Amino acid sequence: MKDLNIDHLFRHQYGKMVSILTRIFGFEHLETIEDAIQDTFIRALKTWRNSIPDNPEAWLMAAAKNRTIDLFRKLKSDNQRNIQFDFGSSTIAISELFLEHEIEDSQLKMIFTACHPSLDPKDQIAFALKTISGFSQKEIASALLTKEESIKKRLQRARKKIIEEKIEFKIPIGEDLTRRLDRVMETIYLIFNEGFQSIKKDLVIRKDLCGEALRLCQMVLNKKATRTSKMYALFALLCFHSARLESKVGLNNEIISLKNQDRGKWYFPLISLGNNAMNKAMEDMLNLSSYHYEAAIAFEHLKSPSFESTDWKTILRWYKSLDLIQRSPYTKINMAIVHLQLNQLKEAKLILDIIDESKLGQRIYLYHGTLAEYYFLKGEIVKSIFQIDKAIQLVNNNAEKKYLTKSKELYSASLN
Amino acid sequence: MKDFMMLFISSDYAKAGLSPEEMQTRMGKWFAWNDKMRAQGIVKHGEALHSTGRRVSGESRTVTDGPFAESKELIGGYYVITVSDYEEAVQVAQDYPDYDLGGTVEIREIMVFDQ
Repeated sequence: MKDLNIDHLFRHQYGKMVSILTRIFGFEHLETIEDAIQDTFIRALKTWRNSIPDNPEAWLMAAAKNRTIDLFRKLKSDNQRNIQFDFGSSTIAISELFLEHEIEDSQLKMIFTACHPSLDPKDQIAFALKTISGFSQKEIASALLTKEESIKKRLQRARKKIIEEKIEFKIPIGEDLTRRLDRVMETIYLIFNEGFQSIKKDLVIRKDLCGEALRLCQMVLNKKATRTSKMYALFALLCFHSARLESKVGLNNEIISLKNQDRGKWYFPLISLGNNAMNKAMEDMLNLSSYHYEAAIAFEHLKSPSFESTDWKTILRWYKSLDLIQRSPYTKINMAIVHLQLNQLKEAKLILDIIDESKLGQRIYLYHGTLAEYYFLKGEIVKSIFQIDKAIQLVNNNAEKKYLTKSKELYSASLN
Repeated sequence: MKDFMMLFISSDYAKAGLSPEEMQTRMGKWFAWNDKMRAQGIVKHGEALHSTGRRVSGESRTVTDGPFAESKELIGGYYVITVSDYEEAVQVAQDYPDYDLGGTVEIREIMVFDQ
């Protein structure tokens, strides 16, 4: 009984099975494979009612293996002469594929295939969540706040692309590996942000997404060939952010700003996991990436016992380093915010002035929100209210909107 | 005390398009229910049934092959429980996990022939 309480056992098992069977049969049979695995689960759901096998994971794996052999026969008899495998001689090799380290290897291959540069990033996320994380179409749709129909299309597009481009089911080597790893990290980070940033989603879904990003990252770190200091830094960053996930959301699903978060709620085990990863990430001091700096900034916040005691100077230094390699307008906004914290109004304004607003997209409200804070601190309340109104008008996230509206009340109060 | 059969009638799980996560959750509910009934000592017997099968019907004993997966009224399994009356059996059936999938529990008292 105990075993079945393993979180997401089925979901993760699904990912493992898809990877192994894809390795054996190839992507062109992905749909058949997915159906077969679905059957295995339904069987388990029915036959385990009265007694659970001693080792559910082993049971599922054995069932999947048997399904594999069934599939062999089915595909052969379906008059698919172009199938290259030979049942008799492959049997031994196939059982080897079900060994723990080979399973991990298959999953890694799946991750690297999902992150092939010829796939659209949006399709990539959906595809990874389906084939590696075992989310259903419906679950992906609700996790990404998209219609199920469009997730279906994204999955189809990804599958089609993989087959058309004849993308190999393997981990690239040499420079290809370095490039692909970057894409893997981007995909993991995007999945994480879907969970961490979107306040509209249920906390359970958000935790699932963040947890999956962490798990994917860990899988890549498990293998020596794909382990890099940058990947460790990303893992540390995700741990540090995750540690704050619960304290970020209030009872009415409102955002709690860093300033007002209950720091006692920060999850220590994740902070310490992140710390270990960060130590490993720093072993290669010559190749510091944006993830290193972002993790350093996140850690600086976690280190501080209260908002008031935050070491803004150190944070600013990390932001400056980050700005040098990343050149993102969001980094610039964050830098401006830190300057405001340090009461360096002039410096803040200089940065805000060079930001190209048109590059901010949906998050342009952050820019106006920061400007509002700047004018407020400067004592130019009318300008401040003008900016905060703009921010409120441009934001389309309700929780953020509430937060900005609160700021406006504060500004307005000082006007009287 | 009397014996009652609870028949579980619903469409096939394969139709419901459950995700792995949902299946795990659902399984947990089946276990919990089964455990509860066993702790109360009321379960005599119970099994799940395949959705495939054969039907023999008519005077000519026509055999129809399953699967009957298309049917919305598929008997997916059963339990035989020993309780005092229908009221109590209905109470037990409250925990059946598949109502949300359109499932039904049919409760039938097992006939005992008095001498």
